[in-house]
Amino acid sequence: MSGSDRNPSTPSSASRLAVAAIAKGPSRPGDGVALSGRTLVRVICTAGSGALEYTHAFVSAYTADHLRGAVAQRLSLAAYELLSNAINFGSVSSDIVIELIESETMVGVRVTSDAIAARISMLTEHLLKLKTNAEQTFLEELRRSVTGGIPRPMLGLARVSHEAGLALDLQVQERRIAVTAQCRR
Amino acid sequence: MSQFTAVQVPKAETVAIQVTAPNQVKLSGTITQKDPANDLAGFFKALHTAAITDKLSEVRADVSGLTFVNSSAIRLFVDWATWVKNERGQRYTLRFITSRNVTWQKTAFMALMSLTKEVLAIEHVT
Repeated sequence: MSGSDRNPSTPSSASRLAVAAIAKGPSRPGDGVALSGRTLVRVICTAGSGALEYTHAFVSAYTADHLRGAVAQRLSLAAYELLSNAINFGSVSSDIVIELIESETMVGVRVTSDAIAARISMLTEHLLKLKTNAEQTFLEELRRSVTGGIPRPMLGLARVSHEAGLALDLQVQERRIAVTAQCRR
Repeated sequence: MSQFTAVQVPKAETVAIQVTAPNQVKLSGTITQKDPANDLAGFFKALHTAAITDKLSEVRADVSGLTFVNSSAIRLFVDWATWVKNERGQRYTLRFITSRNVTWQKTAFMALMSLTKEVLAIEHVT
């Protein structure tokens, strides 16, 4: 982990998917805006490893120490769910990077990983649904988690958006994707 | 003899579990393991079965000290509420004791309430 001013894993803005711009739901601070600023923490995980629990524990402890309690809890949830998705659904051939980033007004968690085209398409669609109606999507995913179904229930991102109230942003450059969850500091 | 209090409590690394007479289970800590069902699904099912056997009118699940749970753990609570909802004979009210200070509890249990309101009650301790 290290601190730096520029995040080299962030894809260029030209390739960003305009998820937030397309959807019609209410906007939140950070919606449609790529978070750029100082990287407070960067952890590189090997895909498929058992890194989830101890990486989450570290990020949670760090946020609890550095940020307001409510913000720390929200980012802790985002760190877990974004990292879990990347580990479970990402390509095993590349590393996963989780970062805690702050700007003057915003703070967020970004997880960068490789993914196949079908996963990127599914993510894009899911983020649009969340942007349009996070609460309804959360309820649908909760219901689907009981009844099952294909594709698998995607409760994690719904929690980040609805439970934690964080703005979600997806950036794609070829197979490399970066999902950022952010809120005001 | 109470079947409920005789339910074997599983050993889980990050969560402390206490079952107290006549009808309360208290969980505190965090649930972060990838598949918490391994430890907890059987335990919740055993509590449910025992509550039916004991003809309890209410089970109190105090989760106010659970500061973080993953999505898989939320599914376990949904499953428990669904078992009660689907019970055809004797059934009980599943009352979750929650904390307003814990982010995940505010929305997760409100959503769960909307899915299983016939059998669920929510109480806030802080």
